[in-house]
Amino acid sequence: MAESEEEVHVLVQRVVKDITNAFKRNPNIDEIGVIPCPEARYNRSPIVLVENKLGVESWCIKFLLPYVHNKLLLYRQRKHWLDRGALVDITCTLLLLNPDFTTAWNVSGSCPSKLNFRKELLQCGVLYPEKDLYLGKLALTKFPKSPETWIHRRWVLQQILHQFSAVGHSRKQPQGEAAQADSERSQQVSDHLSRTLQQEIKVCSDAACHYSSNYNAWSHRIWVLQHMAKGNVKVFHDELSSMRLWVSMHVSDHSGFHYRQFLLKELITELYQTPPSTTTTCSSQHQSTTVPSISLHHQSHNQANRELSEAEAAGEEERQLSFTTIFQLFHQEMELCSDLIQAFPGHETLWSHRRHVFYLWHQWRREHQNHCSSNGGNDLGHLMYQDPDLLKDSTQSCTGQDEIANGQKHASELMEVDRVSFPDQRDNKRLKRGVPLPDPPTLSSEHSFVGDIIDRCSNPEQRHFALAYKKWLDTVIGQQP
Amino acid sequence: MKLYSLSIIYKGSNKSNLLKAAYDLSSFSFFQRSSIQEFMTFTSALIVERTSQGSRASVKEQEYLCHVYVRNDNLGAVVIADTEYPQRVCFTLLEKVLEEFSRTVDSIDWPSGNPGTITYAALDSHLSKYQNPREADAMTKVQAELDETKIILHNTMESLLDRGEKLDDLVAKSEHLGNQSKAFYKTARKQNSCCEIM
Repeated sequence: MAESEEEVHVLVQRVVKDITNAFKRNPNIDEIGVIPCPEARYNRSPIVLVENKLGVESWCIKFLLPYVHNKLLLYRQRKHWLDRGALVDITCTLLLLNPDFTTAWNVSGSCPSKLNFRKELLQCGVLYPEKDLYLGKLALTKFPKSPETWIHRRWVLQQILHQFSAVGHSRKQPQGEAAQADSERSQQVSDHLSRTLQQEIKVCSDAACHYSSNYNAWSHRIWVLQHMAKGNVKVFHDELSSMRLWVSMHVSDHSGFHYRQFLLKELITELYQTPPSTTTTCSSQHQSTTVPSISLHHQSHNQANRELSEAEAAGEEERQLSFTTIFQLFHQEMELCSDLIQAFPGHETLWSHRRHVFYLWHQWRREHQNHCSSNGGNDLGHLMYQDPDLLKDSTQSCTGQDEIANGQKHASELMEVDRVSFPDQRDNKRLKRGVPLPDPPTLSSEHSFVGDIIDRCSNPEQRHFALAYKKWLDTVIGQQP
Repeated sequence: MKLYSLSIIYKGSNKSNLLKAAYDLSSFSFFQRSSIQEFMTFTSALIVERTSQGSRASVKEQEYLCHVYVRNDNLGAVVIADTEYPQRVCFTLLEKVLEEFSRTVDSIDWPSGNPGTITYAALDSHLSKYQNPREADAMTKVQAELDETKIILHNTMESLLDRGEKLDDLVAKSEHLGNQSKAFYKTARKQNSCCEIM
């Protein structure tokens, strides 16, 4: 049964109106979907609203999509007029059916005047950015990968972030009441930002669940952290810890593990800055420790020296704390990886993750061992010291086992003892870290792990991955002093 | 790592008989769920029909793995999982469920029973508990290397069928599928992408 043009027009008008009304009736719609329905039922709307789910019967899509698509193109070509309201409704409809329609979202890159619709509507203030975030979130329930939706989302977030920073720079030196109002406003902004961040993380997480190895969703998540949580160590730590269960239940999701690698790298960068020179305070990125600022004008030479060495000591302590934290991060990540490899044999993603993490650790240790050994009594230097195995021929790794284990244990003990005699007794809380550090990952422990897997596993794929990892250890790591 | 359905099915001489089933379709789009449930029932019943007495098999179909165990007394169970979920744990689950079911429900009711008449309420909670394989079955890691039970592997549903038999025909005839699901299947097959359309 061929639909006449007039019939299609009437149908589409009705459908667009039904969709708009559905949103008005239920502002809590949280999912859209297609209802498998090959034939229209007489005189019934194809739009179905059940609880918070909006469904479109499949039979009407073949009419709806080309019609709406066409309408927008005609509008763009100025061959057909649509008022603001109609434009909003039509773009909304189209985006729910086919979010990868660039014209409707408007991808950045070209100058704004050429781009259409949602962006223009946003810029004219006809739409609030939150509406597009909401619409995008809905589109993602049906099309979790949709590149255009993610791209537009970032554009909208950037608009929002600009608004936030505009608020922050409104006044220079506020006094009294104005200062109070300002600080309240900036608290509000900070809360709003935090809420937006959490919302974005949820959207990414849902999309990652709906489509495995959803690269677009995870890239967006990374973008969000980079732009909305810059330098925020707590957020990175929280993400790392909240993702543990997720990756344990998605052991072949490569993008999920890649996200963990990103988090580790960020944390390492944030936690460990280049060692401060002796005349400055610690890096401002760290948790603030009250180090008196050095002002040589007003102090006697002796006092200045004392303050200098206090600053140095505090800086050194910061560094030790960072080392410890970084070390623990790596250790925990390797443990998680080992645990999953053993529990779920035969997943390449897990072995790939292990490579990345071990390599990261290996590189970081090599980069910082110089700094460590140049710092006299820094005990973490023992941990950071060159992997003992790499000093000898790597083929002797097994025989050196006991020696190394003792050496590492000794290092841990050293740390305990020396901490007590650390010159700066100012703040015992900072010093007290009763838990001894576990052994660091080494080439030898890796060989031991992989050897164990090879000996015991019956899963042929697991065996294959284990052998490949062993080879990687020998060819890539083993060759680097 | 997910389990989608768990069914207990009696392997009759002519056809199989669904006794009880539990589903977790939360990861599917809301409007697809009823069709998907029907297809899972259809698939599970078909698999039991085509699996010999006293054997275990795993059948791959798109991104799903269907694990089946039919006992010597013709009582069978099927669990439909994704490809990440460890196979060993699935068979532990099937064995456990069948053992419990056969203790609870009299064998005289198996050939003619249906989900409405059979009284066995534990299936939903088993499915739910086993969503996390390690919580449910801490011993599996140890047993994984010891278990030598033979499991037949099928790479497609088609390999279960007889020569000349077509899946499309079986779908069309099936009493487990409603009209909407059958029509939907036809469209999806034409487009050669069952889940794309969704």
